Amino acid sequence: MEPEQRFRYGDFSREVSMDHHQISYNALAPKVEKDADGKAIPYVHPKVDLRAADVYNLVRPYIQVRFLEQFKAVVPLALYLVLFQIFMLSQAVEDSWVITGGMFAVIVGLMFFMEGLKLGLMPFGEAIGNTLPKKSPLPAVLGITFLLGVGVTFAEPAIGALKAAGAIVSVNSAPYLYTLLNDWAGTLVLVVGIGVGFAAVLGTMRFIYDWSLKPMIYCAMVPAFGLTFIALSDPELAKVLGLAWDSGAVTTGPVTVPLVLSLGIGIAGAAGSGESRLSGFGIITLASIFPVIGVLGLAIFVSTQTSPAEIIAAANAAQSLNANILPTWYETTPGAEVVGGLRSIVPLVLFLFVVMKVMLREPIKNAGLLAYGITLAILGMIIFNLGLTYGLAKLGGQSGGLVPAAFLAIETVEGSPLYGYAMGITLALVFVWFLGFGATLAEPALNALGATVQNLTQGVFKKSMLMYAVSFGVATGIAVGLTKIIFDLPLAWFLIPGYATAIVLTYFSSEEFVNIAWDSAGVTTGPITVPLVLAIGLSFGNAVGALEGFGILSMASIGPILAVLSTGIWVRYRARRAENMADTAEKTGVPTT
Amino acid sequence: MKNREVFLTDLALITCIVQRGLGDEIVIAAREAGALGATINYARGTGIRERLGFLGVAVEVEKEVLNIVVATEQVDIVFSSISLAGKLDTPGMGFMYVTPLEKASTYIPPTVVEKLEERG
Repeated sequence: MEPEQRFRYGDFSREVSMDHHQISYNALAPKVEKDADGKAIPYVHPKVDLRAADVYNLVRPYIQVRFLEQFKAVVPLALYLVLFQIFMLSQAVEDSWVITGGMFAVIVGLMFFMEGLKLGLMPFGEAIGNTLPKKSPLPAVLGITFLLGVGVTFAEPAIGALKAAGAIVSVNSAPYLYTLLNDWAGTLVLVVGIGVGFAAVLGTMRFIYDWSLKPMIYCAMVPAFGLTFIALSDPELAKVLGLAWDSGAVTTGPVTVPLVLSLGIGIAGAAGSGESRLSGFGIITLASIFPVIGVLGLAIFVSTQTSPAEIIAAANAAQSLNANILPTWYETTPGAEVVGGLRSIVPLVLFLFVVMKVMLREPIKNAGLLAYGITLAILGMIIFNLGLTYGLAKLGGQSGGLVPAAFLAIETVEGSPLYGYAMGITLALVFVWFLGFGATLAEPALNALGATVQNLTQGVFKKSMLMYAVSFGVATGIAVGLTKIIFDLPLAWFLIPGYATAIVLTYFSSEEFVNIAWDSAGVTTGPITVPLVLAIGLSFGNAVGALEGFGILSMASIGPILAVLSTGIWVRYRARRAENMADTAEKTGVPTT
Repeated sequence: MKNREVFLTDLALITCIVQRGLGDEIVIAAREAGALGATINYARGTGIRERLGFLGVAVEVEKEVLNIVVATEQVDIVFSSISLAGKLDTPGMGFMYVTPLEKASTYIPPTVVEKLEERG
């Protein structure tokens, strides 16, 4: 009988399924040459020559991942708008090819911009945050932080949407609003930036000295409310309130948040503090309140300089003048977008570069990579701005202008109102509610915040709970904001009770939840949601004949604050009750279930 | 009575270094090939990225290091399936090696121990 033979199954399957080759690493490893003195010459690794297939394999996932990230954020929203327009309002999408191209530009632009931000701007922020506190005294550090806060505001993609909104505002119905967005547009962005700058300084000091956020919120709300009341006393100025409170939501976007945070955390780390679990929170809160103060202050200053009648006269005069003169190339698209893109990134980069070279005398590492990143950021900004004009703003404006046809007679829509008055308004509100809910839930920043919060609260505040609370808050806020526009109610009616309730809830909440709640609003209003909601609001306002269409974003900011604060209080109450029940059960000897 | 100690022998460690974010897919592939689990560290790596020149931007500096312990008989099949799942034959995608292990200790269900000892 033959002897039994045994094989390992692994050997068998390898032999059958794979063609294996072995190469000794010794054959690949470079030989280090020695010079005449016997010293080793440092080996220079040669560049790798890639075949076309390898380049494709290497580049494809790189682009695919980044493209899909933005694709997932943009396409569902756009589809929702388009489908609603087609099925509920039975209106074809005008210029659908232009809008599709614009949306594609938004996706590509954001993809370039985010990658450029990561490679070209973030390394500066981190390097400055780490080395600046070691080489400069605290006041100088805070000065740089302030300037950086101003600079990042100009680089924020959504700021472009604010400027674009100026064109839609009618000078006759809201003269101060018109002049702020047109004649004073540069100053407007500057005061918003100054607000963000102060927020960055105070937020950084908060990291260093471990201050509580609650008193800072109270202190920041006093001037904000004070100026709001002053503005309310003048019916012309009151129309600026929507813009002022919206500007807070616009500023806290994908540039400001990471760059200011990385600087602040670096400074706090170098100062030996910042060990608190909550460090990192708070700057966003302040960055969304201070610009409100800045814009209101500017509006009041403008009102002392000119009168509404003068503004209207000047605007009409300018209009009749401009009718004959063709606008120069940099005032029309696409020239305006190119100039806008350059103007938002280049100053920030120059500022960071000067700080690195002159203040810190640090060498610039990886210059090639930085140049690549900065180029990408600028290109991305230009493409995004183009997409904003031709895609997001156009689509948002179109839906905003058409949705009122559900309950109003609109000239351009045949057979409008399409539904009964009450039914139509309900439909419009449900439409924006789901738009806000979906857009917020899809925001990648919210997912990240949810994970952080779940860790911070040791799982008491679940990630999904936070995400739904914030989305619910934003959605309800947007619906309330739309109600304000439909019935042309003063924004103050919603703003003052909303923020007053938020302050009362803040008083009763624990520090953790205060930090999370107030930051959640700023984190979730990203570069896609903001322009879309602004455009919808403005053209909706135009269609229903409201004075101005601002205010939706400010409602979308207060909504999540209230939602998260109340959820936080409820979570804490429930946790405490469970604890109490366990305690009493222990005392009485009754086993708990 | 002596304390009872049960440990495992005949194992190998597969260490796989890939770009940050790509680890999960590989762990799934390894589990499907029979590995029980993985330990994941974050790390930074250099090498191919610098030598690729301009294309280096497509390679993430941040890495994940996956440590997967397998039985010696599983090594080849798990190794191959990771290599396929991670597309390790593409430049910049990662690096993987196998280290022999002497012994290991972990929770082994008592019923399993009994069954194995009965068999001898």
